[in-house]
Amino acid sequence: MAESSWLERPGLDKAAGEEFLREAFQVLLDEAVRKGTDVTEKVCDWKEPQELRELLDLELRSSGELPERLLERCRDVIRYSVKTCHPRFFNQLFSGLDHHALAGRLITETLNTSQYTYEIAPVFVLMEEVVLAKLRELVGWSSGDGIFCPGGSISNMYAMNVARFHHFPESRQKGSWALPRLALFTSRESHYSIQKGAAFLGIGTDNVHLVGTDERGKMIPEELEKEIQRVKAEGAKPFFVCATCGTTVLGAFDPLDGIADICQRHGLWFHVDAAWGGSALLSSKHRHLLTGIERADSVAWNPHKMLTVGLQCSAFLLRDTSGLLQRCHGAGATYLFQPDKFYDVTYDTGDKTLQCGRRVDCLKLWLLWKAAGTEGLARRVERAFAYTRYLAKEVKRRDGFQLVLEPEFINLCFWFVPPSLRGREGSPDYWPRLGKVAPAIKERMMRKGSMMVGYQPHGARVNFFRQIVTNPTVTKDDLDFFLDEIERLGQDL
Amino acid sequence: MDSSARERPGPRRGGASPPLRSAPGSHREGEMEDGICKQEMLQKKNAVLVDGVVLNGPIMDSKAGEKFVEEACNIIMEKVIQKADDVTEKVCEWQDPETLKQILDLEMRDAGESHQKLLQLCQDVIQYSVKTSHPRFFNQLYAGIDYYSLVARFITEALNPSVYTYEVSPVFLLVEEAVIKKMIEFIGWEEGDGIFNPGGSVSNMYAMNLARYKFCPEIKEKGLSGLPRLVLFTSEECHYSMKKAASFLGIGTENVYFIKADERGKMIPEELEKQVQRARKEGSAPFLVCATAGTTVLGAFDPLDKIADICEKHGLWLHVDASWGGSALISRKHCRLLHGIHRADSVAWNPHKMLLAGIQCCALLVKDNSGLLKKCYSAKAAYLFQQDKFYDVSYDTGDKSIQCSRRPDAFKFWLMWKALGTTGLEERVNRALALARYLVEEIKKREGFQLLLEPEYANVCFWYIPPSLRKMEDGPEFWQKLHQVSCHISSVICSLLIYLYAR
Repeated sequence: MAESSWLERPGLDKAAGEEFLREAFQVLLDEAVRKGTDVTEKVCDWKEPQELRELLDLELRSSGELPERLLERCRDVIRYSVKTCHPRFFNQLFSGLDHHALAGRLITETLNTSQYTYEIAPVFVLMEEVVLAKLRELVGWSSGDGIFCPGGSISNMYAMNVARFHHFPESRQKGSWALPRLALFTSRESHYSIQKGAAFLGIGTDNVHLVGTDERGKMIPEELEKEIQRVKAEGAKPFFVCATCGTTVLGAFDPLDGIADICQRHGLWFHVDAAWGGSALLSSKHRHLLTGIERADSVAWNPHKMLTVGLQCSAFLLRDTSGLLQRCHGAGATYLFQPDKFYDVTYDTGDKTLQCGRRVDCLKLWLLWKAAGTEGLARRVERAFAYTRYLAKEVKRRDGFQLVLEPEFINLCFWFVPPSLRGREGSPDYWPRLGKVAPAIKERMMRKGSMMVGYQPHGARVNFFRQIVTNPTVTKDDLDFFLDEIERLGQDL
Repeated sequence: MDSSARERPGPRRGGASPPLRSAPGSHREGEMEDGICKQEMLQKKNAVLVDGVVLNGPIMDSKAGEKFVEEACNIIMEKVIQKADDVTEKVCEWQDPETLKQILDLEMRDAGESHQKLLQLCQDVIQYSVKTSHPRFFNQLYAGIDYYSLVARFITEALNPSVYTYEVSPVFLLVEEAVIKKMIEFIGWEEGDGIFNPGGSVSNMYAMNLARYKFCPEIKEKGLSGLPRLVLFTSEECHYSMKKAASFLGIGTENVYFIKADERGKMIPEELEKQVQRARKEGSAPFLVCATAGTTVLGAFDPLDKIADICEKHGLWLHVDASWGGSALISRKHCRLLHGIHRADSVAWNPHKMLLAGIQCCALLVKDNSGLLKKCYSAKAAYLFQQDKFYDVSYDTGDKSIQCSRRPDAFKFWLMWKALGTTGLEERVNRALALARYLVEEIKKREGFQLLLEPEYANVCFWYIPPSLRKMEDGPEFWQKLHQVSCHISSVICSLLIYLYAR
């Protein structure tokens, strides 16, 4: 048959493919890795959305393109992408590039596997256990459970679901409609994934009770106690408290011991969202910020933030050793988790998760750790704190800069007050006008491509900058440049 | 760039630093800073020390790092890429878990390792990993290697973006939009919405929650407590993520009604109608039907037209889990398998399966174009989705997601599509199904092989009956012995499944 002779040839041109891979890798190394980390290059090459659409020629057509055209496309994609590894990218809670982690990520992509069973991913199943055990050790647990999730938001949702199952095991089969109205508590500074989680899990955002915080953004335990009492009196059933270690905007750490006491007293699941602040556990100097974390029932920790490991790498850690995670999520699909395999099937950990196919997120962290050692990572963490200390000092020293609050972590929040507004604090339109400064400076810096930093309004406060430095290659010069550039860009506002 | 940004010419990272790992043996990253750099800096008396940390010296040796990346890639090329089509190589290098633990040196220590040791670790990881790109890897619903998707993935790893806002991820956000638009075209909708997710299971959860939100938007705020009992329907052959989704979303696994399938594994519409009626009589609230286009084991396609009729009649959301079978839409020859899919309200489709796009690449497509996805999922976080940005913030599509940071999974599909064109992708699907057809013919011809059922997709299910069992009578003893045969041969399941790919 004509069909079978067609099948005798391979469907892919291997030689052409390998050639393309080699050339593209060179482009990647030059344009993304080398130039992307080069301080003399732009952080971003700003284009309006419509213009960028045209430049990229996004349309997907019926015929393919030549390798040269594809390489050009690769160059364009790199050129117009924001260089999150640039020493002057300060916009998010992640930045920088670690070469060992990158090598780990490239190997992960090439091996292209899913982490559900030992038979399919033997190395990674074992490796994930070792990495999670190491993270648990730093939390203060000598045993426990856990899994890597596609992001901290989902880690937080896992915690919520496991807590619900722990309190109401029947909810897995029967659903929440048959349960009393549940209540969960978190600080008003917490990450919005708690709200998204409550909606997704069928608990309802109205049943997320936001607890008041002090002037430093930390949850007030007495307020938590009050809220719990109030909610109980209304007839709802509290089941879960989420404390935050490293809030997104202010970088605040909730007082874990005080909160743990309350959870113990009321029999509530104590989850710590340490997605951002968890990495402080690596430093003996700074881990005191998370004192009491070992009392948690679960912890979310994202090494892809402060440890430059690459998105995504988010650990959900559990103190439980009774197989709660498996009981909560396991479905025992017979086509994947056969009990009659020829090896010990307890190694098939994939059934503990909500996902079926799941990316290998442990290799990049493991390889980074092998390269840097726990001590090397601790040094990186300490460096980030030192940057912030230096910047805070400079902000206090310089005219026109005003600290929002003294940082205890590495979120540096400040206003830049242009000369035209200095000394005008008394005037009624001072704050509204000040609120327009950060967006204007941001626009200028992005059009110029010199750096990127985030801003946001917060509570009653108008827009202020939130400076975050996690990139270990940043130096004092970059920090000085940062403040100088804000001055330059905001001088005439 | 004005001169303020050009503080010094040329890349300054690592150029002047001494080589980091020139000698084998244990290395400490800290030593580089403590031992050499700190010494130098203090000697120069211009070191800026804050909290005992030298702020104006490099902490990482970029040159050595880049060298490591290049060498690791050489290993990747040599050990994985170049061997990808070599049938003389092993698919897997089997070691039992305890032995593998010893071989791998997984322990994470206080000190870092040398450059050579790290490269060796990379080699070991590769050596003992299963080669999913091997031509004889047939174990899962993904396999093989696509060079263009791999290049795209390498690029995204190097750039490390997060696809929440246009300001941080301009290219990848626009690419995702273009890919979703194209996928929607193949489904047969004029317009629609969608998002890429970390897995088909998550896509199915999105759909379930979206259907629930459409049914009763108040649930987002009020939750389920005290509401009527929501019920959803899916085939008994569906993917197990339906159960996980029901439990996670608070609906409850008991409230997933499994509909009987026929001898070909397809949902029986008359049974669905019966179950919907039953659910109504019970006083529960049916809200969703999930049809499967390409079931996991048998590769069956539910009859979408008839199911759509029932959904329309009863006002139920129709979700089609086409994670596996969706790629047949690209083939003009085989897209009839999903006839009626345009009547769905949502579709899950995973290009990382049959189209070799690379794990993960999973889209949830939604017919609604009124912003339902956004209304259902948004939280409008002020620190990320500021309304006073200097560009049109409707481009900040990240708030449609349950995730905050999110990977640019559409890009690898886009680059692959640009490289192959729709025609190339179509050939891929046709080839896989032609290979399946060939295998089926062979199975029928050969003694000792018995087909479970005639496949309509790429799942070829059969038994191998060893000579010792061929004369045995059909009965419980026969089946028990046969069951053990499969276990002994391959450890997969009691019938061997082979998923065919274009290779």
